[in-house]
Amino acid sequence: MTGIEELAIRENSMILNAIANEFDQCIKCGLCLASCPVGKALFLEKYTPRGKVQLARRYAAGDLEISEHYRDIFARCLLCGACTVTCPSGVDQKTIFLKMREEIAGKRGLHPNVEAAVASLLACHNISDEDNSERGDWRDHIRDLPDHMYEKERADVVYFVGCVASFFPMVQSIPQNMIRILESAGVDFAVLAGEEWCCGFPLTGAGAPGEMKSLMDHNLEKVRALDAEEIVFSCPSCCRTWKEHYPTDLRLSHSTQVIERLVKEGAVSLGELNETVTYHDPCDLGRNGGVFDAPREILRSIPGLRFVELGNNRNQSVCCGGGGNLEMADAALSGRLAQNKLEEIRQTGAEIVVTACQQCVRTIKGKVRRERLDLGVLDITDLVIRSMSHG
Amino acid sequence: MISDVVKDEMRAIVGDEWFLDAPEDLVTYSYDGYLPEFMPDAVIIPGHRDEIAEVMKVANRERVHIIPRGAGTNICGSSVARKGGIILAFHRLNRIVEIDAESMCAVVQPGVVNADLQKAAAAFSLMYPPDPASMFVSTIGGNVALNAGGPRGVKYGVTRDYLLGLEVVLPTGDIIRTGGKTLKNVSGYDLTRLMCGSEGTLGIFTEIILRLVPLAPAKATLQAVYADLDDAATTVSAIIGAGIVPATLELIDRTVLNIIGNYGGARFSDEAQALLLIEVDGEESLVEAQGKRIETFCRERGAFQVEMAGTPEEAERLWQARRTAFGAVASLRPNCIVEDATVPVRMLPAIIRKIVEIADKYDLQIGVLAHAGDGNLHPLIMTDLRDKEEMARVDQALAELVQAAMEMGGTLSGEHGIGIAKDRFMTMEFSQTSIDLMRGIKRVFDPNNILNPGSFL
Repeated sequence: MTGIEELAIRENSMILNAIANEFDQCIKCGLCLASCPVGKALFLEKYTPRGKVQLARRYAAGDLEISEHYRDIFARCLLCGACTVTCPSGVDQKTIFLKMREEIAGKRGLHPNVEAAVASLLACHNISDEDNSERGDWRDHIRDLPDHMYEKERADVVYFVGCVASFFPMVQSIPQNMIRILESAGVDFAVLAGEEWCCGFPLTGAGAPGEMKSLMDHNLEKVRALDAEEIVFSCPSCCRTWKEHYPTDLRLSHSTQVIERLVKEGAVSLGELNETVTYHDPCDLGRNGGVFDAPREILRSIPGLRFVELGNNRNQSVCCGGGGNLEMADAALSGRLAQNKLEEIRQTGAEIVVTACQQCVRTIKGKVRRERLDLGVLDITDLVIRSMSHG
Repeated sequence: MISDVVKDEMRAIVGDEWFLDAPEDLVTYSYDGYLPEFMPDAVIIPGHRDEIAEVMKVANRERVHIIPRGAGTNICGSSVARKGGIILAFHRLNRIVEIDAESMCAVVQPGVVNADLQKAAAAFSLMYPPDPASMFVSTIGGNVALNAGGPRGVKYGVTRDYLLGLEVVLPTGDIIRTGGKTLKNVSGYDLTRLMCGSEGTLGIFTEIILRLVPLAPAKATLQAVYADLDDAATTVSAIIGAGIVPATLELIDRTVLNIIGNYGGARFSDEAQALLLIEVDGEESLVEAQGKRIETFCRERGAFQVEMAGTPEEAERLWQARRTAFGAVASLRPNCIVEDATVPVRMLPAIIRKIVEIADKYDLQIGVLAHAGDGNLHPLIMTDLRDKEEMARVDQALAELVQAAMEMGGTLSGEHGIGIAKDRFMTMEFSQTSIDLMRGIKRVFDPNNILNPGSFL
């Protein structure tokens, strides 16, 4: 037998020590292969969760060294967590893969396709290489914008918009919708605009979580200054990053949770929509964030709306292809996975796919446009605004 | 070791992209679902039958070992390069060629995943019955090579019962066809069935013809909990004695029930010594009547808790304990050895008692899952491979367990295969004459012993 008895972990790697127990748990049954979009698309065992766990184990055991090949393999992962919920013996693959990215970045530097993004993120404090003072520009075309433009001295709720929804025109409707919803419900909220910095999430996927501190410190300070009780996030990944990394006692909610609450309280009233929709669970909201019901409750609250589930839903939801920085490492693969998502959506017969993540909207809508398909792709706030206008 | 010249020749057949010999690739084809790992010399992933034939010609000429591997989910070590060589993987041969609903059969390439075939067949209201636990991952080629079974085996049998025909590349590179789409076929020796369960030692399947059956329109699911193992066993006999053949008849013993409870699954009373999960399928009226009779059998034979599912959701809840069982047991210790000895149905309580006795004797943690309806046991031995002293006890316990099963008229393996997991026990089941016959057959097909050498023969 090789490799089995020799589980001595490389010395002086805090990173590997943290996951050594996870290797022990893997029984190599291969059940995770069924859940992995990347493994299914690329066939080869090294791209499957089981293959990656074994590669991590062999590295930890000193059998293999970190190579460019290793980097290439571990970059081809959505960090979607589907393997983690499938594993019968409870191996936390996602943590292994994140730690391996960190180890690889430490040994060989950042992935070349990610390097520039990380540098500009640290310099500009956003993922778009834009001047961060333009972060609030999505407010430009809003009618009846109050003079304070939601930048306040104090507020009950901080609305943390996130980089993608702030800078990408395709999804700027999300914060525009969100402030209309919060405003009409009478919520006292504020945005940080140019003082909102990237939450640091892309750094975890890039294998550089150590660089997050300055971003976290800044965001925490700005939020604290507002004396708020709750932060609401449009971006499921920002929300998760705050929950997992930020030392704060504030209530951290995703926009769907807040909207569900406002609908139940009667603060938001929804009018009839005569459409058939399906719902795509974003990985970081559903499987990795535990929020499955809030978006469904919102959909069910819209009179006349017909809601059909995707074949794979809730915990079994299949990533749209937009996770894990995969788009940066292998855009073609990300596109193939988006294509698979469209096929699954098509099988429901729905006219519209609704989701609750700006990155999922971008990935799915981008693919729909390139393929010139007749399918509506909406963020759930788009649908809520439509419904409110009929209320 | 394989020379660079031979590697280049292989590479030229399939193209650079599909011949792998980087260490990162070799490591990830060094294992399957069993324990030991062996680094292959290369991995080759052909895209066509003719490429496989070319590969075999070179391999036969150069005496290079070829080890066919589907998804690598088998748990007997039948797809690892025990004596070195090239792993031949079927990732690219993954097409369902045809569902011939009129002839009630399917034609598939070996890399098709079992569950994908099930789904395709269901669209025609047909079913491919073999349902190994690995069905969402494992391939039909691997299922045929291992003659895979599954919980539905008690009523529907195993892979062999659905295999109608094959296209096979022999170790010499010759291509043969066996069987066909006909349901009846008695011409000549049954090469098709000889291939089934041959664990990659006789030939490489490149096309597989499978029989399909009508998809049952309804089912009834029951769960019965017993304070006495014998009562559960007599219930099994009563059901089968009454002429009812359930699609599923699963037993879970006390050890596993406790582990499931501690794992966060369903909790059962302290009295529970055994649980039966029973499912019947067929026409609605029949299934309903059978469900009620089974419920009565369970109660009459001492079950202190009997539940019959009224909805699919309830059925799913009743299945939950069984589905959680393996993961719960597997996560308890670093390794879990899944045994597969199988006995005549009436010997079930005797063998389970024997297992409890063996666990005590060797101070091991062993839980029992069983496909009770067909006497197929899955003792789960929880252990740690790094603990040499404990592994020695595991080894002795395994030998004693297998010996006991043989004495009860059983077999080494009901559905998992021999591979490298049980080759040392072959002489317990087979006389030297039988083993010589098998070796003779192997030589006829594979004169140079290049196909999966080091497996059970």
